[in-house]
Amino acid sequence: MKQLVSAPALFVEAGICLIAGLLLAFLYAPIDVSSMGFSQKIFYYHAPIAETALVAFGIAFVAAIAYLRTQDLKWDRLGLVCVRLGLLFSLLVMITGMIWGKAAWGVWWAWEPRLTTFLLVCFLYIAYLVLRSVVEEEQRRATYAAVFAIIAFIDVPMTFFATRFLPEGLHPVVISAGGSGMEGSMLVSFLISMLGMTLLLVALIRRDLAVEDLKDRVADLKNTIGG
Amino acid sequence: MSIEEGARFVAAAYAVILAVLVLYYFISARRVNTLRRDVELLEQEVQRRQAGAGEAGGE
Repeated sequence: MKQLVSAPALFVEAGICLIAGLLLAFLYAPIDVSSMGFSQKIFYYHAPIAETALVAFGIAFVAAIAYLRTQDLKWDRLGLVCVRLGLLFSLLVMITGMIWGKAAWGVWWAWEPRLTTFLLVCFLYIAYLVLRSVVEEEQRRATYAAVFAIIAFIDVPMTFFATRFLPEGLHPVVISAGGSGMEGSMLVSFLISMLGMTLLLVALIRRDLAVEDLKDRVADLKNTIGG
Repeated sequence: MSIEEGARFVAAAYAVILAVLVLYYFISARRVNTLRRDVELLEQEVQRRQAGAGEAGGE
Protein backbone atom coordinates (compact mmCIF):
# COMPACT_ATOMS: atom_id res chain seq x y z
CA MET A 1 0.00 0.00 0.00
CA LYS A 2 2.83 2.35 0.96
CA GLN A 3 4.45 1.78 -2.43
CA LEU A 4 1.21 2.71 -4.21
CA VAL A 5 1.17 6.19 -2.64
CA SER A 6 4.92 6.90 -2.86
CA ALA A 7 5.74 9.98 -4.95
CA PRO A 8 7.16 8.11 -8.00
CA ALA A 9 4.23 5.65 -7.95
CA LEU A 10 1.74 8.54 -7.89
CA PHE A 11 3.35 10.05 -10.99
CA VAL A 12 3.14 6.70 -12.79
CA GLU A 13 -0.50 6.18 -11.73
CA ALA A 14 -1.37 9.74 -12.80
CA GLY A 15 0.36 9.20 -16.15
CA ILE A 16 -1.51 5.94 -16.77
CA CYS A 17 -4.88 7.54 -15.95
CA LEU A 18 -4.18 10.61 -18.08
CA ILE A 19 -3.07 8.57 -21.09
CA ALA A 20 -6.08 6.24 -20.65
CA GLY A 21 -8.41 9.23 -20.35
CA LEU A 22 -6.96 10.76 -23.50
CA LEU A 23 -7.26 7.52 -25.48
CA LEU A 24 -10.84 7.01 -24.29
CA ALA A 25 -11.71 10.62 -25.13
CA PHE A 26 -10.56 10.21 -28.73
CA LEU A 27 -11.28 6.53 -29.42
CA TYR A 28 -14.27 5.67 -27.21
CA ALA A 29 -16.26 8.85 -26.51
CA PRO A 30 -18.33 10.05 -29.48
CA ILE A 31 -17.94 13.41 -31.20
CA ASP A 32 -20.28 15.94 -29.62
CA VAL A 33 -23.36 16.54 -31.75
CA SER A 34 -23.94 20.09 -30.46
CA SER A 35 -22.46 23.21 -32.03
CA MET A 36 -19.13 22.49 -30.31
CA GLY A 37 -18.41 19.50 -32.56
CA PHE A 38 -14.90 18.04 -32.41
CA SER A 39 -13.56 20.93 -30.30
CA GLN A 40 -15.55 19.48 -27.37
CA LYS A 41 -12.66 16.97 -26.99
CA ILE A 42 -10.74 19.74 -25.20
CA PHE A 43 -13.21 19.27 -22.34
CA TYR A 44 -11.66 15.93 -21.23
CA TYR A 45 -8.55 17.68 -19.87
CA HIS A 46 -9.86 21.25 -19.54
CA ALA A 47 -12.54 20.47 -16.94
CA PRO A 48 -10.38 18.12 -14.79
CA ILE A 49 -7.60 20.74 -14.76
CA ALA A 50 -10.10 23.40 -13.67
CA GLU A 51 -11.48 21.20 -10.89
CA THR A 52 -7.95 20.32 -9.78
CA ALA A 53 -6.96 24.00 -9.63
CA LEU A 54 -9.95 24.73 -7.39
CA VAL A 55 -9.08 21.70 -5.21
CA ALA A 56 -5.52 23.06 -4.83
CA PHE A 57 -6.91 26.43 -3.68
CA GLY A 58 -9.25 24.54 -1.33
CA ILE A 59 -6.30 22.74 0.26
CA ALA A 60 -4.51 26.10 0.60
CA PHE A 61 -7.60 27.42 2.41
CA VAL A 62 -7.60 24.47 4.85
CA ALA A 63 -3.83 24.84 5.35
CA ALA A 64 -4.30 28.56 6.11
CA ILE A 65 -6.85 27.79 8.84
CA ALA A 66 -4.58 25.05 10.21
CA TYR A 67 -1.65 27.49 10.30
CA LEU A 68 -3.62 30.17 12.14
CA ARG A 69 -4.70 27.57 14.72
CA THR A 70 -1.31 25.93 15.25
CA GLN A 71 1.30 28.49 14.07
CA ASP A 72 3.13 25.49 12.58
CA LEU A 73 5.09 26.54 9.48
CA LYS A 74 4.49 23.18 7.78
CA TRP A 75 0.94 24.41 7.03
CA ASP A 76 2.31 27.62 5.57
CA ARG A 77 4.55 25.58 3.26
CA LEU A 78 1.60 23.42 2.20
CA GLY A 79 -0.45 26.55 1.47
CA LEU A 80 2.32 28.08 -0.62
CA VAL A 81 2.84 24.88 -2.62
CA CYS A 82 -0.91 24.49 -3.27
CA VAL A 83 -1.33 28.11 -4.39
CA ARG A 84 1.62 27.79 -6.78
CA LEU A 85 0.24 24.58 -8.26
CA GLY A 86 -3.28 25.99 -8.32
CA LEU A 87 -1.99 28.91 -10.37
CA LEU A 88 -0.12 26.57 -12.73
CA PHE A 89 -3.33 24.61 -13.34
CA SER A 90 -5.32 27.86 -13.61
CA LEU A 91 -2.94 29.09 -16.30
CA LEU A 92 -3.64 25.90 -18.26
CA VAL A 93 -7.39 26.34 -17.74
CA MET A 94 -7.25 29.89 -19.07
CA ILE A 95 -5.18 28.98 -22.13
CA THR A 96 -7.19 25.88 -23.05
CA GLY A 97 -10.43 27.71 -22.27
CA MET A 98 -9.47 30.51 -24.66
CA ILE A 99 -8.63 28.00 -27.39
CA TRP A 100 -11.93 26.19 -26.81
CA GLY A 101 -13.80 29.50 -26.66
CA LYS A 102 -12.39 30.52 -30.03
CA ALA A 103 -13.43 27.19 -31.52
CA ALA A 104 -16.91 26.99 -29.95
CA TRP A 105 -18.00 30.62 -29.57
CA GLY A 106 -15.76 32.33 -32.14
CA VAL A 107 -14.11 34.57 -29.51
CA TRP A 108 -10.95 34.16 -27.43
CA TRP A 109 -12.51 35.77 -24.38
CA ALA A 110 -15.96 36.74 -23.12
CA TRP A 111 -16.75 38.69 -19.97
CA GLU A 112 -19.22 36.15 -18.69
CA PRO A 113 -19.59 34.97 -15.03
CA ARG A 114 -17.47 31.79 -15.04
CA LEU A 115 -14.55 33.27 -16.98
CA THR A 116 -14.57 36.54 -15.09
CA THR A 117 -14.68 34.95 -11.63
CA PHE A 118 -11.94 32.49 -12.64
CA LEU A 119 -9.74 35.36 -13.83
CA LEU A 120 -10.38 37.07 -10.50
CA VAL A 121 -9.26 33.89 -8.69
CA CYS A 122 -6.00 33.99 -10.65
CA PHE A 123 -5.37 37.66 -9.79
CA LEU A 124 -6.14 37.05 -6.11
CA TYR A 125 -3.66 34.20 -5.84
CA ILE A 126 -1.02 36.12 -7.79
CA ALA A 127 -1.51 38.84 -5.17
CA TYR A 128 -0.98 36.14 -2.50
CA LEU A 129 2.47 35.39 -3.96
CA VAL A 130 3.28 39.11 -4.22
CA LEU A 131 2.28 39.57 -0.58
CA ARG A 132 4.59 36.75 0.47
CA SER A 133 7.49 38.26 -1.43
CA VAL A 134 7.27 41.64 0.36
CA VAL A 135 7.15 40.39 3.98
CA GLU A 136 10.58 39.39 5.32
CA GLU A 137 9.89 37.92 8.74
CA GLU A 138 8.82 34.26 8.46
CA GLN A 139 6.02 34.02 11.05
CA ARG A 140 4.53 37.38 10.08
CA ARG A 141 4.63 36.42 6.38
CA ALA A 142 2.91 33.11 7.14
CA THR A 143 0.17 34.85 9.17
CA TYR A 144 -0.52 37.49 6.50
CA ALA A 145 -0.48 34.83 3.78
CA ALA A 146 -2.90 32.61 5.73
CA VAL A 147 -5.37 35.46 6.26
CA PHE A 148 -5.11 36.43 2.59
CA ALA A 149 -5.58 32.80 1.45
CA ILE A 150 -8.79 32.57 3.50
CA ILE A 151 -10.15 35.81 1.98
CA ALA A 152 -9.08 34.82 -1.56
CA PHE A 153 -10.84 31.47 -1.25
CA ILE A 154 -14.23 33.24 -1.09
CA ASP A 155 -14.02 33.62 -4.88
CA VAL A 156 -13.48 29.87 -5.47
CA PRO A 157 -17.05 28.69 -4.71
CA MET A 158 -18.29 31.76 -6.59
CA THR A 159 -16.40 30.50 -9.65
CA PHE A 160 -17.75 26.98 -9.24
CA PHE A 161 -21.36 28.09 -8.84
CA ALA A 162 -21.22 31.00 -11.32
CA THR A 163 -22.62 28.97 -14.21
CA ARG A 164 -25.21 27.32 -11.98
CA PHE A 165 -26.65 30.50 -10.47
CA LEU A 166 -26.15 32.69 -13.55
CA PRO A 167 -27.03 30.34 -16.43
CA GLU A 168 -27.22 33.12 -19.02
CA GLY A 169 -23.44 32.93 -19.55
CA LEU A 170 -21.74 31.16 -22.45
CA HIS A 171 -19.97 28.55 -20.30
CA PRO A 172 -21.97 25.29 -20.11
CA VAL A 173 -22.82 23.48 -16.84
CA VAL A 174 -21.49 19.96 -17.25
CA ILE A 175 -22.21 18.34 -13.91
CA SER A 176 -25.18 19.58 -11.92
CA ALA A 177 -27.47 18.24 -9.22
CA GLY A 178 -29.63 16.72 -11.95
CA GLY A 179 -26.79 14.59 -13.35
CA SER A 180 -23.82 14.90 -15.67
CA GLY A 181 -25.68 15.53 -18.91
CA MET A 182 -23.06 13.38 -20.62
CA GLU A 183 -23.24 10.07 -22.40
CA GLY A 184 -21.84 7.10 -20.45
CA SER A 185 -18.68 6.84 -22.58
CA MET A 186 -18.03 10.58 -22.23
CA LEU A 187 -18.49 10.41 -18.47
CA VAL A 188 -16.08 7.46 -18.13
CA SER A 189 -13.41 9.30 -20.17
CA PHE A 190 -13.94 12.45 -18.11
CA LEU A 191 -13.79 10.65 -14.74
CA ILE A 192 -10.59 8.80 -15.62
CA SER A 193 -8.95 12.07 -16.72
CA MET A 194 -10.23 13.67 -13.51
CA LEU A 195 -8.65 10.89 -11.43
CA GLY A 196 -5.39 11.31 -13.35
CA MET A 197 -5.28 15.08 -12.77
CA THR A 198 -6.05 14.64 -9.07
CA LEU A 199 -3.28 12.06 -8.69
CA LEU A 200 -0.92 14.39 -10.57
CA LEU A 201 -1.79 17.23 -8.20
CA VAL A 202 -1.11 15.03 -5.15
CA ALA A 203 2.22 13.87 -6.64
CA LEU A 204 3.26 17.45 -7.46
CA ILE A 205 2.26 18.69 -3.98
CA ARG A 206 4.42 15.98 -2.41
CA ARG A 207 7.37 16.79 -4.64
CA ASP A 208 7.08 20.56 -4.11
CA LEU A 209 6.88 20.02 -0.35
CA ALA A 210 10.08 17.99 -0.62
CA VAL A 211 11.66 20.94 -2.48
CA GLU A 212 10.61 23.34 0.30
CA ASP A 213 11.98 20.99 2.99
CA LEU A 214 15.27 20.67 1.13
CA LYS A 215 15.51 24.47 0.75
CA ASP A 216 15.05 24.83 4.52
CA ARG A 217 17.70 22.18 5.15
CA VAL A 218 20.15 23.98 2.84
CA ALA A 219 19.48 27.29 4.65
CA ASP A 220 20.03 25.62 8.05
CA LEU A 221 23.29 24.03 6.95
CA LYS A 222 24.53 27.32 5.47
CA ASN A 223 23.74 29.03 8.79
CA THR A 224 25.66 26.31 10.62
CA ILE A 225 28.70 26.78 8.40
CA GLY A 226 28.40 30.57 8.48
CA GLY A 227 28.05 30.59 12.28
CA MET B 1 -16.97 23.82 -37.84
CA SER B 2 -15.42 20.88 -39.68
CA ILE B 3 -13.61 18.07 -37.89
CA GLU B 4 -10.30 19.23 -39.41
CA GLU B 5 -10.76 22.75 -38.07
CA GLY B 6 -11.83 21.47 -34.64
CA ALA B 7 -8.89 19.06 -34.57
CA ARG B 8 -6.46 21.98 -34.95
CA PHE B 9 -7.86 23.68 -31.84
CA VAL B 10 -7.91 20.40 -29.92
CA ALA B 11 -4.31 19.63 -30.89
CA ALA B 12 -3.20 23.11 -29.80
CA ALA B 13 -4.95 22.78 -26.42
CA TYR B 14 -3.52 19.34 -25.66
CA ALA B 15 -0.05 20.39 -26.84
CA VAL B 16 -0.08 23.33 -24.39
CA ILE B 17 -1.30 21.16 -21.49
CA LEU B 18 1.19 18.36 -22.07
CA ALA B 19 4.11 20.73 -22.72
CA VAL B 20 3.51 22.73 -19.52
CA LEU B 21 2.92 19.69 -17.31
CA VAL B 22 5.88 17.71 -18.65
CA LEU B 23 8.14 20.79 -18.38
CA TYR B 24 7.04 21.44 -14.79
CA TYR B 25 7.61 17.77 -13.93
CA PHE B 26 11.19 17.83 -15.19
CA ILE B 27 11.99 21.25 -13.70
CA SER B 28 10.76 20.16 -10.25
CA ALA B 29 12.60 16.83 -10.53
CA ARG B 30 15.80 18.69 -11.38
CA ARG B 31 15.31 21.06 -8.44
CA VAL B 32 14.95 18.12 -6.05
CA ASN B 33 18.15 16.51 -7.38
CA THR B 34 20.10 19.79 -7.22
CA LEU B 35 18.94 20.52 -3.67
CA ARG B 36 19.72 16.95 -2.52
CA ARG B 37 23.24 17.33 -3.89
CA ASP B 38 23.60 20.71 -2.13
CA VAL B 39 22.46 19.16 1.17
CA GLU B 40 24.96 16.31 0.79
CA LEU B 41 27.84 18.70 0.05
CA LEU B 42 26.90 21.02 2.92
CA GLU B 43 26.58 18.10 5.35
CA GLN B 44 30.01 16.88 4.31
CA GLU B 45 31.40 20.39 4.87
CA VAL B 46 29.79 20.60 8.32
CA GLN B 47 31.23 17.20 9.26
CA ARG B 48 34.67 18.20 7.95
CA ARG B 49 34.62 21.40 10.02
CA GLN B 50 33.40 19.59 13.12
CA ALA B 51 36.17 17.02 12.71
CA GLY B 52 38.69 19.85 12.22
CA ALA B 53 37.44 21.63 15.35
CA GLY B 54 37.60 18.36 17.30
CA GLU B 55 41.20 17.79 16.25
CA ALA B 56 42.14 21.38 17.11
CA GLY B 57 40.49 20.99 20.53
CA GLY B 58 42.37 17.73 21.10
CA GLU B 59 45.74 19.40 20.53
